[in-house]
Amino acid sequence: MSSGPSQPRPQLAPHVAAAHEPYEPVFVGARRAELEELFTRYPTRMATLLPALWMVQEDRGWVSEEAMAEVAELLEITPAYVKGVVTFYTMYHQHPVGKHFIQVCTTSPCNVCGAEDVVRSFLEKTGCGELGATSADGRFTVVESECLGACGFATPVMINERFVESVTPEIVADILAELD
Amino acid sequence: MGYPHPPHERETQVLSKHFGNPEARTLEGWKKLGGYEALRSALAMEPAGIVDIVKESGLRGRGGAGFPTGVKWSFMKPGDGRPHYLCCNADESEPGTFKDREIMRWTPHGLVEGVAIGAYAIGAETAYIYIRGEFTEPLLWMNRAVREAYDDGILGENAMGSGKRIDIVVHKGAGAYICGEETALMNSLEGRRGNPRIKPPFPAVAGLFGQPTTINNVETLTAVPHIIRNGAEWYKGFGRPDNPRSTGTKLFSVCGNVARPGNYEVALGFPFKDFLYDVCGGPPAGRSFKAIIPGGSSVPILTMEEAEGALMDYEGFVAAGTMLGSGGVICMDDQQSIPKQVARLARFYAHESCAQCTQCREGTGWVTRILERMLAGEGQSDDIDTLLELSEQMTGKTICVLSDSCATPIVSGIARFRSEFEALIPKSRSHVPVAAVAV
Amino acid sequence: MAETKMVTLTIEGRQAVVPEGTSILEAAKTVGILIPHYCYHPGLPVAGSCRMCLVEVEKMPKLAPACATAVGEGQVVQMNTEKAREARASVLEFLLINHPLDCPICDKSGECELQDFTFAEGPAVSRLHEPKRFNPMEDFGGDVLYVTNRCILCTRCVRFMDAVAEEPVLNVSERGDRAVIGVYEGEGLTHAWASNVIDLCPVGALLSKDSLNKARAWELDRTASVCPGCSQGCNMMIESRDDVIARLRPRPNLEVNEYYMCDHGRLDYRWMNRPDRSEVPLVRDGGALQPAAWDDALAAAASLIGDREVHVLASPNLPNETLWLLRRLVDRAGGSATFRCATGDEAPLPGVEDLALRADRGANVHGALQLGFSRVDFDSPLAGVSSGAVLVVADDELADVKPEVLRAAASVLVIGTTTGVPHEVADVVLPVANFAEEEGTFTNLRGRVQRFLQSRGAPGLARPTWFVLSELLATMGEDTDYFLASEVFDGLAAAQPAFAGLSYDSLGLAGQQIAQTSLAGESA
Repeated sequence: MSSGPSQPRPQLAPHVAAAHEPYEPVFVGARRAELEELFTRYPTRMATLLPALWMVQEDRGWVSEEAMAEVAELLEITPAYVKGVVTFYTMYHQHPVGKHFIQVCTTSPCNVCGAEDVVRSFLEKTGCGELGATSADGRFTVVESECLGACGFATPVMINERFVESVTPEIVADILAELD
Repeated sequence: MGYPHPPHERETQVLSKHFGNPEARTLEGWKKLGGYEALRSALAMEPAGIVDIVKESGLRGRGGAGFPTGVKWSFMKPGDGRPHYLCCNADESEPGTFKDREIMRWTPHGLVEGVAIGAYAIGAETAYIYIRGEFTEPLLWMNRAVREAYDDGILGENAMGSGKRIDIVVHKGAGAYICGEETALMNSLEGRRGNPRIKPPFPAVAGLFGQPTTINNVETLTAVPHIIRNGAEWYKGFGRPDNPRSTGTKLFSVCGNVARPGNYEVALGFPFKDFLYDVCGGPPAGRSFKAIIPGGSSVPILTMEEAEGALMDYEGFVAAGTMLGSGGVICMDDQQSIPKQVARLARFYAHESCAQCTQCREGTGWVTRILERMLAGEGQSDDIDTLLELSEQMTGKTICVLSDSCATPIVSGIARFRSEFEALIPKSRSHVPVAAVAV
Repeated sequence: MAETKMVTLTIEGRQAVVPEGTSILEAAKTVGILIPHYCYHPGLPVAGSCRMCLVEVEKMPKLAPACATAVGEGQVVQMNTEKAREARASVLEFLLINHPLDCPICDKSGECELQDFTFAEGPAVSRLHEPKRFNPMEDFGGDVLYVTNRCILCTRCVRFMDAVAEEPVLNVSERGDRAVIGVYEGEGLTHAWASNVIDLCPVGALLSKDSLNKARAWELDRTASVCPGCSQGCNMMIESRDDVIARLRPRPNLEVNEYYMCDHGRLDYRWMNRPDRSEVPLVRDGGALQPAAWDDALAAAASLIGDREVHVLASPNLPNETLWLLRRLVDRAGGSATFRCATGDEAPLPGVEDLALRADRGANVHGALQLGFSRVDFDSPLAGVSSGAVLVVADDELADVKPEVLRAAASVLVIGTTTGVPHEVADVVLPVANFAEEEGTFTNLRGRVQRFLQSRGAPGLARPTWFVLSELLATMGEDTDYFLASEVFDGLAAAQPAFAGLSYDSLGLAGQQIAQTSLAGESA
């Protein structure tokens, strides 16, 4: 560590800063107890892998390599194994994402109802510019998602855990305005 | 009209009767509507008796395959000393399908009851309800319903005072279409990548955690309490008299270019033409239907002529050249490009391929790239033949049917709308063979 | 034991009779038919995913994967119907669309199953108009390099690390055609048996860093051998190019090492190519060692020994044949036969019963004990040498021993491969071939006698160890005019009860078990 006068650090967007924070274990205290309780509901510890990863993501917003190692140790499996599983499922974020993670369904049933216009509208109005990118202020990440299973409510949009149904380009601005 | 619209008079509402009614979501409300009476009477019966009733009712799997539920249950041998498991497949991911979502959102206790009866019938003490991770609201309601059922003694070591143990665990998926395939779901539940398994062994022999397992769709299990309460004869009464192989009611999810999208429940055998134009209100104003995919994205696409002549049951759709599938009716109007939607579906399957089988891993990606190149104006004269040949090799050759499902829209799309594909191959460009590169 | 039920079926018109439960693929092997496959490997759990082994089975509506379909009585299996051939050609086309086709610079070229099956029946042209997928190479740790673009996702490596090494440090990452084999950063293939994934890989995706770009597969000469790295006795192939050992690879033997060998054994071969070799017989004359003709050197050695006691310190990597002759040398006028053996940590391969890199890092410890040698402390190998004895140092470099200690013996006869410490005090030096340069047998720790063959020429005037010993004994009047290693072995088998009934020929290349006898000192 440098002992010189502290240099003003460049301001990092929250999602970038998050990737550089030192790792603190997730499974302590209540979270640990919750996991231990979960162990009793399955005949193997490995079966709690998906729920354990969900806990990590709920607490940290993403699943880092360190978190994979922590989960691996508790479940008595290897970090490489955990990583293979994490990369299989699309909902686990392997990098920090914007505060509001916006998934727009664009599979055929929504596509024929104009989902591509909804995506464009989100990209424009959030300032993300391109799919998968996080806006400079760290607030938004917009991705196209495969079928969200709400085809009759085209176009469904998931914002973090929340579902917004029947979204059209016209109401995108209003939806974003409600987000903090 | 069906949920989210008021019901249409030609619907036969059994499962969807309480959609939109907030009271049905709570244990108290559900009991007032007659909930858990079927479970109580089931627990007083022998498991084999329940299996017989379900067998007799003709109920078939509503997830897509249409396998007779009672027959599937009869593969399980309660009391063989091994743990048995029931999995409820709530990974509803087939594009065009959103019926299980509404069942879980509006009648979560209906599913809990169906799962509990199913578990008891096959000798399973533990049932897992595997809900796709994107279904945040259904997850919320299902978790709440299960908790309420435990608190009320409906579930647990002495289910409804019967002395029988029934545990239900809600398991949240994390984003993978293929986990709706039964063996992939089991792998996912075990904390693995959601890779389908080679069969045999079949789940009834070695399924979840290597133990005898039955897996049923949400809609299938939710129908069970109604059958227990009203009897097999009652259930068999729904359906066309000339086709005893398809009985009961079925939820159809209607989406795409249609006046009133939503879930509609009709007796099997309902005329598809009436369904589309009367029940669902036909195409959006000023448009006309061009094509319909009647059973989720994995079944063959139909022209309107074919669709309008179809009857809505397992055999009726097969006769029309397609399948009932999961009952997800995707409507496309005259504004839509079939190649574009076929390409979009191919991209979906390429995204969801688990990467095990060669034909699927490489094929889904390749056909997607060919279709997208064609749409970008770079079509080549051999593209259609290549697509058809690749589709042929992607069909019937892999562990599961994801690869087949990717090929289906391509083959059926080209068969019925070939001119639209041909129009993507610039006329001026004669076929320039790729240099014969030795591979 | 319940009798295994046998099933009769027809594969490509040939009748096969195999135990119930056998896969069609394995059944086909028994009648000499290779059904092309990638993901299947007899040592690994069945994946059934490459879909290369699809065959037509009568009465089955769809093509069936031969690796995952059990035989049935009366089954008729065909692999050369149009449908099956097209399916295989199609799998090859799919596997090749994203493959870089960089065979000219690929180490696997010439021994690649993707090349072989494509050559046999693959498509001659590609219909791919699109750009290929590209992924960078990755160092997987240990000796393994992952060339991602060549990978066909057969997952043999993943299954080996999971089910056989029981250390799942490899995974399949991502899905669809983005899928690759992955590791967790910082945790690579450091398992003692990890490099087996290189041999298991049917294509050029997993390569040995050690042998990277060293030789084309077709330039290598292959010799059946037995690993001298420890007392397990893994069967191996020595691969050399222009008389230089380039690579060691496992040779299947289901009784010993199945399909595997450990990294320690695999990578410890450079000593076989050492240039600092003892190449001519030497006799001390006027204080200095002088080159001598073989006959003169043997005569000098014979007179050096005369009727004196002989103390032998032998390498545990000498073959049974040589050790037996050394034993006979000791038995002439008394003395002692000893060996010392380096030790290290034992490293088992958990998925295979009784397979490990053994603590004893010598190939023939068991053989030496069987032939009456006693094991001495590694750190004081010459503790028991009496001052009047002739010390015979047989292929122990004694690099850790000071010459003064050696001078304690009256006379020193060196039968060695390299120049070094013993030369400083030797009265006679007889140059011999090293392990790779001669043939013979080792006895592994379970008493299995296994032959190894000569893979390169010995330098200069060096001769095989057993040949030199038999010449020496003959010079001293013994009846040992052996000209072939087989003659020595057959003589040994006739003389040693434990080896009774064995012959060099009957050992074959898979070895045979000697009569089980309790062995003093083996547990040490």
